[in-house]
Amino acid sequence: MFAEFVDGPFWYFSVTVFVVGVVWRFLAVLRAGRRPDLSVARASAVVGAIRTNLSRFLPRREIAGRIRLPVVAGYMFHLGLFALLLFAAPHVDFIKERITGFGWTPMPHWAFILASEFAFIGLLILWLHRVLNPVTRLLSRADDHIAAILTFVVMLTGCLALFQSFEGLRVLHLFLAELLLVYFPFSNLMHALMFVPSRGYTGAMLGRRGIHA
Amino acid sequence: MMAKCGATTRHGKVHIGRWLACLLAVVLVVPLIPYTFADKPGNGNVPNPGAELWREVRQREAPTVGTTQVQGVDTGVLINVRGEEWRQFRMQTLVPVSGMVLGAAVGLVALFYLVRGTIRVPGGRSGQRIARFTEYDRILHWSTVFLFYFLGITGLVLLYGRFVLIPLLGPEGFAVTASACKEGHNLFGPLFFVVLVLLFLEFVRSNIPKWVDVKWLLKGGGLFGGHASAGYFNGGEKIWFWLVSLFGLAICATGFILLFQNFDQGRPIMELSHVVHASLAALLIAGSFGHAYIGTLGMEGSLESMTTGSVDANWAKAHHDLWMEERKAKGLDNDIVSQPQAETPENKTAPGYQT
Repeated sequence: MFAEFVDGPFWYFSVTVFVVGVVWRFLAVLRAGRRPDLSVARASAVVGAIRTNLSRFLPRREIAGRIRLPVVAGYMFHLGLFALLLFAAPHVDFIKERITGFGWTPMPHWAFILASEFAFIGLLILWLHRVLNPVTRLLSRADDHIAAILTFVVMLTGCLALFQSFEGLRVLHLFLAELLLVYFPFSNLMHALMFVPSRGYTGAMLGRRGIHA
Repeated sequence: MMAKCGATTRHGKVHIGRWLACLLAVVLVVPLIPYTFADKPGNGNVPNPGAELWREVRQREAPTVGTTQVQGVDTGVLINVRGEEWRQFRMQTLVPVSGMVLGAAVGLVALFYLVRGTIRVPGGRSGQRIARFTEYDRILHWSTVFLFYFLGITGLVLLYGRFVLIPLLGPEGFAVTASACKEGHNLFGPLFFVVLVLLFLEFVRSNIPKWVDVKWLLKGGGLFGGHASAGYFNGGEKIWFWLVSLFGLAICATGFILLFQNFDQGRPIMELSHVVHASLAALLIAGSFGHAYIGTLGMEGSLESMTTGSVDANWAKAHHDLWMEERKAKGLDNDIVSQPQAETPENKTAPGYQT
């Protein structure tokens, strides 16, 4: 009964909420507009947008030493999660059956294990940094903790259900993933889609004034 | 004539039918005759024709290795007799004894709390905060804590689940739980090894035993009265560090032997690894109860060192006086993270305010 609900109605509901929510968030950003900049452009805004998008992948030299751990952990988590999401064999099958109608070559089992190890330890370190560093602790809201914990349990249940020996574990993983889809548009998880336009806007605005951001 | 012929045909059919019935009876009954005699008392000396074969297969007398096309360790052994010895040890010794050790540890901690209660900061809090652990130290510590207890819980489910969880969840519920715990245990095990090595490298220099640690131990750490001097880490903390490091590394090594079965290590090594793995893990979990107790409920001000990274100056003077003297001698006053503040409604609600 619960499995049918998770596989059927709740799946369609969560995907709908995700898509509508994401579109609504993007429209909200676009509708906010921007203040007109009447100054004479000193440099190209487009170049500034591209430069900032790329330069923010590395920490600034002045603070690189101090934030080395969260930067390394951030890459471990995000790359591990990306690999798991798109190249884990059960996910490729799921995407083929439910979404695209076609699949691609999944990663081998050893790569799955390695990616999940990277993702887990990365997320754990990032969350501990958030909680233990006085500055990030002060900046964090309940949303940040909910997003981190929800992502963690989705990853965890996915790994526990890896061999798909028990239907209950697969259903639990899918249910939590659907909760994450519902939560996604209304949370800071939107940074997964917003980071490019966000960096681009900052880079364009400052680049136009001749500032390398 | 026709009537006579019909009668002859019918008689012939009956005749054939009788013969077939007799034949069927013979086929069904004759094989049972030896069993009928064999079951009679007094015929016990008739050997079971399969006994010799199965005796050879089980290899009770000597480990005879058979011939097989499958290449690998123990592939020539059909039934592993030593496996039964390991199973008996697991069920009759490991499970009850480790359970008693864990129960005793919980009981001792509870008893100590009832007798001694929470040990307060002598002289009360000064309000002056001294930096003790860096953010990296604390991330490493809490990562180890998380992985240790995740592995501990999943491991205990695998060890005791049959006795504890089947009555609660039923066989199917336990099967799901055990499968999930096994996957989780295997996945997080290598991560524990990584953080354990990093933890060892980070703290080993401060945990080299000194004579003052022996004196600290002889005084019972000051828990039963009197003052026991200690440096950055006291004797108890150093014992815990070396237990975690050495037992932890042994647990990881045996865990890897169990996890990576593709290196032809064979059953005897894996059975021994399992016994060492589970025994040391149970001891370490039991020890962790004491460590967790004294770091939280047992001693006021201890937990702050691992949450905020700083401790109260009076706490440091009481429990790590030699460290404080060392700091003073080195002129390390720049790691005082805050000075005493007057209690006002404003600073009481400020984020950095700690009681």
